[in-house]
Amino acid sequence: MFGHNFKYTLKTLFRNKTLIFWTFAFPIILGTFFNMAFSNIENSEKLEIIDIAIVNNEEFENNKIFKEAFENLSDEKNENRLFNTKYVTEEQAKELLENDEISGYMILEKEEPQIIVTTSGINETILKSVTEEIIQTNEIINNIAKNEIEKEIISQNYNIDYEKIYKNIIEMTENQEVNIKNISKNNLSYTMIEYYTLIAMTCLYGGILGMVAINQNLANMSNNGKRISIAPTQKVKTILSSISASYIVQLIGLSLLFIYTIFILKVDYGTNLPLIILLGLVGSFTGLSMGLAVGVLFKTNEGIKTGILISITMLGCFLSGMMGITMKYIIDKNIPIVNKLNPASMITDGFYSLYYYDTLDRYFFNIASLIIFAFIMITISIISLRRQKYDSI
Amino acid sequence: MTVFKTFLKVLNKCKAPIIMYTVILIFFGGFNMKTSENNPNFIATKPDILIINQDEEKGITKNLVDYIKENSNVKEIENDEESINDALFYRDVNYIIYIPENYRENFLNGKNPEIEIKSTGDYQSSLAEMIIERYIKIANIYQKNINSEEEIIENINETLSKQTEIQITSKLDTENLKKATFYYNFANYSILAGCVYVICLILSSFKEQNISKRTIISSMNYRKYNRYLLLSNSLFAIILWIFYVILSFILVGNIMFTTHGLIYILNSFIFTICAVTIAFLIGNLVNNKNAINGIVNVIALGSSFLCGAFVPMEWLPDAVLKIAHILPSYYFISNNELLTKIENINIESLRPVLENMGIIFIFTIAFIIITNIVSRRKRKIG
Repeated sequence: MFGHNFKYTLKTLFRNKTLIFWTFAFPIILGTFFNMAFSNIENSEKLEIIDIAIVNNEEFENNKIFKEAFENLSDEKNENRLFNTKYVTEEQAKELLENDEISGYMILEKEEPQIIVTTSGINETILKSVTEEIIQTNEIINNIAKNEIEKEIISQNYNIDYEKIYKNIIEMTENQEVNIKNISKNNLSYTMIEYYTLIAMTCLYGGILGMVAINQNLANMSNNGKRISIAPTQKVKTILSSISASYIVQLIGLSLLFIYTIFILKVDYGTNLPLIILLGLVGSFTGLSMGLAVGVLFKTNEGIKTGILISITMLGCFLSGMMGITMKYIIDKNIPIVNKLNPASMITDGFYSLYYYDTLDRYFFNIASLIIFAFIMITISIISLRRQKYDSI
Repeated sequence: MTVFKTFLKVLNKCKAPIIMYTVILIFFGGFNMKTSENNPNFIATKPDILIINQDEEKGITKNLVDYIKENSNVKEIENDEESINDALFYRDVNYIIYIPENYRENFLNGKNPEIEIKSTGDYQSSLAEMIIERYIKIANIYQKNINSEEEIIENINETLSKQTEIQITSKLDTENLKKATFYYNFANYSILAGCVYVICLILSSFKEQNISKRTIISSMNYRKYNRYLLLSNSLFAIILWIFYVILSFILVGNIMFTTHGLIYILNSFIFTICAVTIAFLIGNLVNNKNAINGIVNVIALGSSFLCGAFVPMEWLPDAVLKIAHILPSYYFISNNELLTKIENINIESLRPVLENMGIIFIFTIAFIIITNIVSRRKRKIG
């Protein structure tokens, strides 16, 4: 009996095209969209070489410090190149700025540099900041030179080699090592969260499969259910076989999504494959248990039950960052209890902790929360399924 | 009239999704929408920095902290490593600087102490690094030449106070224009999803076999019948459009009362009409009511993701933008983006905008023609 029901549940589920679209194809399509839209975001957020112009008036041509500094920062061979600089007349610079070809231009007048830009922004800030750094370095050189010369004079050495002093100081400013050590982790790609919520969505959508399968066993839901209920078979057997069939279908869908995201979209789930699979299995099981509970508890038609499951799932995914990654952070930081109860967030956070953290505490906390959630759902379903009797349907 | 009445009946049934699309628009399109005053002065971008100071806040260390505070937004995060790492991952902070114990002492002894940092690697963190490196460089130079701490600090601060004058030429209210663009870009999804969902559902109701059989044998010309349907559907779409325009006045604010605002509205009107014809075509191609939901999502989400309604166009990969050229949404969104950059509105500066509108119009005509061909073929029921 178990095998028979199992086989036919599989068949009915696979033949339900709408259901298969939402649980199999839709996550893959959505993943493709995510990939198209998000694959370039993090690269665009890196600092790019900024197009600027400098008015090459006589003063600039004669100002060695400014000229060398900008030439150095615009040098293609320089690893820390910041600018792509055009040396033009003031009219040309204005035109370039108007046509949006440069972020801004600098003009040197009476030893004071002036920067002209169209709006406030990051590129403009950097141009300003760099120009300031040049003036400030200039200032330091003068200050220290003055000090040195004073010292020489105090020590009554009037035979001062000015050029040498300046040369030494300039050398010193250029050879300043800034002792900064970057200790951030490599896995900082926050768009990955989008794909993790996608997995969470698929796991929970799987609940719809479980709900549809269980409906076939409920006397108040389908004619099929009436027949099964009066058949002399243990309820445990039919229900267990229905559930396990839908779990299998769910896992097939999930593995398709995993294969697609890993091999085609190049999503990074971290390196611990067994734990990734474990989270997939537990996550799907949680989805299934939720589908079961909704299927059993609500006494309405299949359409509304599907609607309930989709709403819960989408709300959960929204809170765990599917429609804006910051949302997960805001909730985690300000009302953590919400995401501790939200299965979509438990799954997302599980993948996040595998990807970002070296320790596994947080991962196992999420796994445990998922198991507890599933256990509660199943207990509720069992209580409500037991000893159901109908005087009339 | 019969057609119109039936139309209203079906429309009443699909209130829920329309409300949902609107809520999504208000929530996301209006997100982060505090109106800001147009500021004629330059505002430097400030990266978000977290300072973990393990040294005593005295002397040179205090001066460093004060300097960072002045040039960036210093964030307060709970001081445990997990919260800090989370904050960095979700870009709550761009840069974390750990000032080590005894920094002041080691610095004054000329040891150039190592500072550990964590960085997101984006442009804000690059800016943060520039700001901090500059300070340390200057401090190191003075430390080598001056002995007294007080004097070093004084010199550092004096040097750092040298600023550059910066001028802004554009008088455009870029901030508020960007908000309007953000809203209307997002409206791409709501308009498209709303129109396609409702119109497809209505058409499929009209095409239920018994109803359509009756319509076909009636004396009504199929063109006239199509025209009635198109009109009543357009009416719905226009009401939806007016509603979204009114919402934009509320959410975006004053900028909508300028000429720029008028062009946003006109642009969205042309797009809404185009969306109606898209919906009409799909409605004629698809007969299965269950499939509509899936198709709506694929089409509306697809063209929104591909054309930059959710993620700004400049951030999309080039290949995606090339594909996007085949979709009318691309031209609608391009226009919204163009509007943030046009300073003086005249025929010359509006030329690219008008061209895009023209292309959307051509799409509209093309969809109408294809729909008529499809619907004529499909009239024959075996």
